[in-house]
Amino acid sequence: MSDQGMKSRPTYAPLAPDPSGRHHLLVVEAAEVPAEALAEGVVPSAFEVWTVARRSAVPSAPAMEEAPGSVAIFRSVTHLFSALEERLARETMGLRLYAAGAEPFLWDVWGRAEKAGLSRQETAFAEVGPKARRIYCVHCRTVTEGVTTSIFTCPGCGASLFVRDHFSRRLAAFMGVQVDAEVPGEVPEAEELYA
Amino acid sequence: MTAAQPFNVRVREIVELAPSLKRFSFEPVHGGVFPTPPAGGHVLLTLRDGARVMKNAYSLVSPPSERSRYDIIVRLVAQSRGGSSHLHRKVAPGDVLEMANPVSLFPLISTAKKHLLIGGGIGITPMLSFLPELKARGARFELHQLATLEEVPVFERLLAPYAAGEEIRVHGGGRAAFDLAGLLARQPLGTHVYVCGPHSLMEAVASTAAALGWPKTKVHKESFGGDITGLPFRAVLRKSGIEVEVGESQSLLEAIEAAGVEAPCLCRGGACGQCATPLVEGEAEHRDDFLSAEEKAAGTLIMTCVSRARGPRIVIDL
Ligand code: FES
Repeated sequence: MSDQGMKSRPTYAPLAPDPSGRHHLLVVEAAEVPAEALAEGVVPSAFEVWTVARRSAVPSAPAMEEAPGSVAIFRSVTHLFSALEERLARETMGLRLYAAGAEPFLWDVWGRAEKAGLSRQETAFAEVGPKARRIYCVHCRTVTEGVTTSIFTCPGCGASLFVRDHFSRRLAAFMGVQVDAEVPGEVPEAEELYA
Repeated sequence: MTAAQPFNVRVREIVELAPSLKRFSFEPVHGGVFPTPPAGGHVLLTLRDGARVMKNAYSLVSPPSERSRYDIIVRLVAQSRGGSSHLHRKVAPGDVLEMANPVSLFPLISTAKKHLLIGGGIGITPMLSFLPELKARGARFELHQLATLEEVPVFERLLAPYAAGEEIRVHGGGRAAFDLAGLLARQPLGTHVYVCGPHSLMEAVASTAAALGWPKTKVHKESFGGDITGLPFRAVLRKSGIEVEVGESQSLLEAIEAAGVEAPCLCRGGACGQCATPLVEGEAEHRDDFLSAEEKAAGTLIMTCVSRARGPRIVIDL
């Protein structure tokens, strides 16, 4: 019982440069490209890489070489996103955009990519880092951090919640919906999903 | 799917735009208005010349908001398949013709950030139906029309109503003078390209775009049938239990229809895929823009509207 069919949700897989693309830009939510984000045999230098160091020492305007193998370091995700928006606005057809990070980061990248007119075929995403979810109970509005199972009990109202794949960007959380709304007490086994 | 229930239309006006180009305006026979056509839509006309029945698809060039008339532009080609020369030579104002509802196989993509239109020759026709729609939507677009030197003024006149402040250019210098790669390379993200014209132009756009990293999903082609002539051959229609002789200047689809067999079709130009028919025996000479290279190599399907047999005989599952 998992609604993976969500249209707006990116799919995740280890990254490899798409040979049909002309430029390859990889944005990462970490200081380095995590090895597990790349497919076997793929090296980070195949991409132009943007990373986030989360340090104030990073120069405020990263050197932009816009070539494979070049690395630009940003001081925050916000900083990276504003540069990404500016870059996408002046990019030409042929760009492939790749992202590696936790799910909310990937969603934010996809949102900006879609706004710039990129399609699924021109983007690829690798989910790395903690997969535990932040859940918003649609019934009592309690937010629970670090949920790793498909079904859990809401600490706010005690309902058995099914964790949907629907991520609210506004709340930066996944939606939890009561599973036994129709037949109270009929709660399927919880599966460990997002460890 | 075959085209929708046909209805009768009256020829209201015929305007000669150039020696080989005529615009035909149609109105509903019983008054009233036509259904709102989709942008980039086209209609199927059934033309009867004695016992001969021809069905041709034409893009609507009147604005989709115009429902009192449907306009098409027809080029008279030297080795005409019959339909176009019939329209040019035999059809007069007041005549009643059979038309099937407009369908669009070439829709504008609503999520596009920009629309790049490339027309070659008479391939201008679907572009003419796109322009008012793009203007009405306030969409960003750019149009490049390729023409012979003599026809540059004709196309400029047709495009003039839309040209104010827009990137519309008519190129008369032939393909060599037209920097296709440069044009495709400088398009912003989210651009969709639409090309209509001779097969070679559409191939050039598709392959240049692919080489520059355009995804296939942002390249849209509408073919104009091109050359359907070739050596005669015999086609065995297995399900119908008959054999038809396909003449030199006739398409397989036309031969099938002439034999009274209902065959699926829509665009009649090798673009929509409706006429795909299983090929049981024999080899096809593929001339369509629908099947992929792999499907063509597999040789299990034939597009009856444009493709022919490579040998003297084929067997199809129809
Ligand atoms: S009728 Fe459209 S491809 Fe043949």
